[in-house]
Amino acid sequence: MNSNHLKNKRILLVDDEPELQNMVTSILSKEGFTNIRLAASVRNALAAASEFQPEFAILDVMLPDGDGFSLMEQLKRTADYPILFLTARGEDEDKFRGFGLGADDYMVKPFLPRELVFRVTAILRRTYRDENPVVTLKHCAIDFERAEIQNTKSGPIPLTAKEYAILHTLYRNAGRIVTIDALCEAAWGDNPYGYENSLMAHIRRIREKIEAAPSKPESLITVKGLGYKLIVL
Amino acid sequence: MKSVPKLIRRFLAILLLSTTLLFFLNIIVLFTLNLKQTPGASPWTTALETGAALQRSAAGEGYVITETAASELARENAWGILIDNHTHQVVWHTDNLPPDIPLTYSLADIAALTRGYLNDYPTFPGESANGLVVLGYPKDRYWKHMYPNWDYHFIANLPTYILNTLLVNAFLIFLIYFIANMKLLRSVRPIAEGIQKLPTKEPVYIKEKGLLSELAAKINRTSEILESQNYQLKKKENARANWIAGVSHDIRTPLSMVMGYAGQLEEDCSLTEAVRQKAAVILKQSSRIRNLINDLNLASKLEYNMQPIRRTHENAVAIARQAAVDFMNLDIDGKHPIEWKTDPELTVCPVFVDKELILRAVSNLIQNCINHNGGGCTVYVSVGLNVPSEDCQSKEQGQGGRYFLRVEDDGTGMSADELQKLNQTPHYMMCDSNIKDQRHGLGLLIVRQIAAVHGGNLIMRQSLYGGLSVDILLPAS
Repeated sequence: MNSNHLKNKRILLVDDEPELQNMVTSILSKEGFTNIRLAASVRNALAAASEFQPEFAILDVMLPDGDGFSLMEQLKRTADYPILFLTARGEDEDKFRGFGLGADDYMVKPFLPRELVFRVTAILRRTYRDENPVVTLKHCAIDFERAEIQNTKSGPIPLTAKEYAILHTLYRNAGRIVTIDALCEAAWGDNPYGYENSLMAHIRRIREKIEAAPSKPESLITVKGLGYKLIVL
Repeated sequence: MKSVPKLIRRFLAILLLSTTLLFFLNIIVLFTLNLKQTPGASPWTTALETGAALQRSAAGEGYVITETAASELARENAWGILIDNHTHQVVWHTDNLPPDIPLTYSLADIAALTRGYLNDYPTFPGESANGLVVLGYPKDRYWKHMYPNWDYHFIANLPTYILNTLLVNAFLIFLIYFIANMKLLRSVRPIAEGIQKLPTKEPVYIKEKGLLSELAAKINRTSEILESQNYQLKKKENARANWIAGVSHDIRTPLSMVMGYAGQLEEDCSLTEAVRQKAAVILKQSSRIRNLINDLNLASKLEYNMQPIRRTHENAVAIARQAAVDFMNLDIDGKHPIEWKTDPELTVCPVFVDKELILRAVSNLIQNCINHNGGGCTVYVSVGLNVPSEDCQSKEQGQGGRYFLRVEDDGTGMSADELQKLNQTPHYMMCDSNIKDQRHGLGLLIVRQIAAVHGGNLIMRQSLYGGLSVDILLPAS
């Protein structure tokens, strides 16, 4: 999946540990994220934010002159961009507070470099998806902006609302298994129990639209009993 | 205090029973005493018998008495006279006649002695052929009621009166007893309530007044001591949990750097394979430390009831599915494939649980399979309704209305002995003595604790696939 357009997003990293700043920077740089600004306190972060105009922020919770939660509130007042908390505070209360304030993700230290990269990419892709509305599959492409399948043989095929919701959830987690329950929730909202048969029917119809041979799927893979996986090129 | 009415009923039953018993016992005792006091015949009968025993002498002058009657009078120490019907003169008397007894009587005298006494001697008249026999007993032998007359209706209604009197008496006794007992119970009630409240660890205060004020004071002191002990205990537990939380917090940032750089070195293609392998080992061991920190923190919070439990209505199938998928998405080298073994027809198993904790428990079980089978194994995850099984080793497995979330593998597993040892050996977090054989590893402990806070439990046994099988049993909602 092409995510090059995400690599040059402006990232603000706020942490009072210089060594951790260096390490996170090196992890992200290695993955192609080059536009990173560092800050070690709330005051520095606010100054950097007004000057740097970040498009994504990674915040620590415990900072020498305040806490990450209040910093996030102040940052959100000026511009709305995604925020990931990267902190040693792993209590549920802290997580709930972070998510309650509108954080996009919450990672507890220590973390695997790969996991950080994955989460950062996932948030950026989710937030700035409109910049890449066409997703290429093996036998076709999905245009999420137009909600249709682009097939060179048969021309554009429209997606229904449910098909769009299911495909979009699969796309957001491309290459990973998405559980039946998560897909049902995406299509039917809260309390999505008892829709498994309906989901199977929708998956069948999606396959007819995206696969060359729906009985032998290559893009939308079934993981028996658990869920489905979308393979994006 | 539910036992108070029962207590009152029991007291009253005992009271009524004992009163009735006493009443009859008294009658029997009175009757027995009366019989004992008057071993001979009634004086009225003796008077009649004496009258019959008096015969005119053979010479026709005077009277004689039979031997039997004479000896009876002598035994009773009684004297006797015979008053002639016509002359009202004493025509016969016993030898022991006191000198102050007159020998001539008017009708009024006879009426008086019949009713009561003659010169303080209790007298009893009896009929004879020619006159009236009067027997006199020693002055302290009998007490006579001299005016024995009652209203006719009173006597006619006497049974009713007696019955009513008895009933009124019983009611009065009941009332007096009830009031007295209520008063006592009223003072006992707060004491009993206080004692019942003590095990709940809530503070107890009882007003120190009334009959049982001393007892109330003791209970208040006991409550204060318990409260203080609980406070100290809670303080210690909080301190311990906070200490663990603090240490784990402080370790996280340095460990982040260890893991971060090790991860980068592992993926650095410019390094030799041997160096990258070493970096991989550092990363793996750091991950273990991270998991240990997380587990230790959660285990201590669960142990000291500091972990908030946020229960919602959830589907156990969805939770187990999520845990399985999370691992499948992470299993890059494919050494630990996961197979979903839940009946396809079973799509909803409603449980009332903290989703995050149950997810954590299932994840811990899957992680255990991975940790103990480094060479690789297949992990089987299933959810189902727990039904009694004939071959089950644990009684708890036979309980109904529960769902199982089962994680098993085809790895090395455990022998029956090892399983038994695992079940019986105390964990070091729970162990309060210096037993050498303490159980280590927090994964299973947390799963057990999580199951317990949801009213469930944990069953471990050998899997049909060859490895270990662990069931989390949760009550259906």
